[in-house]
Amino acid sequence: MNLRTVYSLAVVLTRSQIRGTQRNKFLARVFGEPRIILPVDVALLFGLGIVGYLILARTGNELRALLIPILPKALAGIPSAIMFMAILFGVLYEISQPIQSLNTDLVNWLPITPTEYVAGSTISESYIYSFILCLLLGVVLGPALAFGLGWTWLAAAVLSALALFIGAFVVEILDATTNRISSSFYGKSGRSGIIFRLVATVILLVFIQLLFSGYIIDYLLQSIIQAALFAWFMPVVWPSLAVLSASQGSTSGFFLFLASSIVFAAALFALAAQFRARFWVPVPVSIKLSTGIYRPARFRFPLVGAAESALIQKDLRSLTRRREMARFLAIPFVLAISMGISILPLGTGSTPQTPDFIFIAILYTLPVAIFVGALSMSSIGQEGYAVWNIYAAPIKPSQILRAKVLFAASLGLAFGTALLTIFAFLMNIVAAYYGVMLLIGVLVVLEASMLGVYYAARFPDFREMVRSRYVGVWGSLLGITTAFGASLVTIAPTAASIILYGELTSEFTIATVAVGIIIFLAGAKLALRQITDLFTNIRI
Amino acid sequence: MAVKGVSFTLQSNQILGLLGPNGSGKSTLMKSMVGIITPDAGAITVQGLDVASNPIEVKRIVGFVPESPRLYEFLSGSEYLDFVATVHGLGPEAKRERIPEFLKAFELEGRENELIHGYSQGMKQKLAIIAGILHKPRILILDEPLNALDPLSARIVKDLIHKLRDDGVPTVFSTHVLEIADAICDRIVIMYNGKTLADGTVEELRSKTGTEGSSLEEVFLKLTGTSDTREVVEALTR
Repeated sequence: MNLRTVYSLAVVLTRSQIRGTQRNKFLARVFGEPRIILPVDVALLFGLGIVGYLILARTGNELRALLIPILPKALAGIPSAIMFMAILFGVLYEISQPIQSLNTDLVNWLPITPTEYVAGSTISESYIYSFILCLLLGVVLGPALAFGLGWTWLAAAVLSALALFIGAFVVEILDATTNRISSSFYGKSGRSGIIFRLVATVILLVFIQLLFSGYIIDYLLQSIIQAALFAWFMPVVWPSLAVLSASQGSTSGFFLFLASSIVFAAALFALAAQFRARFWVPVPVSIKLSTGIYRPARFRFPLVGAAESALIQKDLRSLTRRREMARFLAIPFVLAISMGISILPLGTGSTPQTPDFIFIAILYTLPVAIFVGALSMSSIGQEGYAVWNIYAAPIKPSQILRAKVLFAASLGLAFGTALLTIFAFLMNIVAAYYGVMLLIGVLVVLEASMLGVYYAARFPDFREMVRSRYVGVWGSLLGITTAFGASLVTIAPTAASIILYGELTSEFTIATVAVGIIIFLAGAKLALRQITDLFTNIRI
Repeated sequence: MAVKGVSFTLQSNQILGLLGPNGSGKSTLMKSMVGIITPDAGAITVQGLDVASNPIEVKRIVGFVPESPRLYEFLSGSEYLDFVATVHGLGPEAKRERIPEFLKAFELEGRENELIHGYSQGMKQKLAIIAGILHKPRILILDEPLNALDPLSARIVKDLIHKLRDDGVPTVFSTHVLEIADAICDRIVIMYNGKTLADGTVEELRSKTGTEGSSLEEVFLKLTGTSDTREVVEALTR
């Protein structure tokens, strides 16, 4: 293994990751070099440590009494937590890679051995996520010094760094395995393989999103040490057990689990290198969708012309076939489950009372606005560099606008209706209120899709890179804020009706419709102007 | 400014070769001719249509293949061609007739149901060329169309350009392979730093530069002032 090659590769991979998300030239210059991570790490580690130490020095005994029994468990939990996060982030990174970047990976054609690649890649991943490690270690540094657990903290620091590498090795193994499996699987299974990949990716994303909800994190932290003690025979918990042994003053236990962890890490490294050598398939997978002869597409969306219909079908295929687009399909599930968890404690009592209607209306329209806003804001940038096809085609800006809006709105309407039906089932909403909420939902979908397309055209991001939002940062922030604001303004007349008269009046319902239509038409005017401007001069 | 002061008229029975070093403005000029870049000044007219004020109408009659075309990799070859045909207004009958015919001609038959992601660079180039000529354009604008093509496909493209020229469909064609330009172009425009350096038939350019009997490469290198390559080669082999 050539260490110079490993170092160069690690630097290049780190640069590629940290520069991939930066558009601003100044920020790219300041934060685009790997060395920036080191001062950030040091600042987090010692800054938080000093702050924590000073806080403890000035507080009473109550806080100290509370922290003393928790601290050893917290220190022991860090290696397992960091390993878990490294695997999660690593898998997310792989999922988010655009289809175009997969075959052009320089390591496929440069003289780099699998061992060198695995070493460079894991160093890069560990270095990039080291700020999380320093954040966690910084938080516990102050209390550890204050309570005389400095050596245990040091043990936790060493073993957490090792755990970070173990997580990175696992990601390498998963990467090589899934690459081979998907290459063989898609090659044989065609269209069903794409559907399977979509479903699997959506489930994985929903799972990962829900893992970061408060309930689950709390549960994990509570049970991590308990689980480690029960599962002592599992190598992944050995780093945590080494720290736990150190905190209990068991030198033999500490060295035993430390040595075991090092051996485990070395074995995983060797395995990752083996997997890379045996399973990595650098050639693009050939996926055959059907075996029949070509037949012109007959399906046409209602209300629009052939060109708009073709654009919508293309965008639907993009959404369901591109791995990096699957996260947009995961949004409704994550939102529906999160909202379900939020409203379940409200019970399935009687018809919603005055405050409940407003609360449920907001709870219902916000996720709809988020989903439709995110989808429509991505609608232009997701074309990527292939957008020249649209520039060169005889398609009018108004046709592009209709297609993009209808695409986001049709999916938004399906999601909105399903979500409202779940709410109605859980909260026993009466038919009249269901009808009005459905109307509000339709208006919010139309507004959010139109405003989203405006921001998509105003701040398009055509770059094909990992974790692209397909819209600039400002566009993303302004777009979501505007969609939120528009949905609240639309709800306002019905909310006023409920507050003033205790019921929904037809006048205020009509006012809601009028507000919705006005926002939609204003959005249409803005969006059309922006699309016309965007498609006058190619920007890639 | 990528292009400045370029002016020429393309006749209906001409194949015009647009030559020039990298960064000379060829691609910018071609994109302007299709209407996907609006010039700051001047005018471009295609078949009597002002490109700036009628970009959609111009796109309907132009067949364009960009340099290194990016296609929708999540579509199959036939889905992509169906999409392009639809936005050009082709009906089901025309699509059923033309798409299989072109796929067969470019030896993509049997691969049309595969995702473009799995295609080789040459196959993608063939697909882009088919997409450019599928709607029977009245003028072809091809930016280095022979890149990555196998000899048979390159020959088909060259013959196609000649046949279309004979049918009154002119072509603007850029290439860095001067032998190809010499062989198929009726007229050559050499660009340098965004300006026209020379315009005429190969013979006219030879006589203009006093290089009668020499190759187009010699003419080109002489015009662009890059003919003395010995120093560069010596430095590279040092």
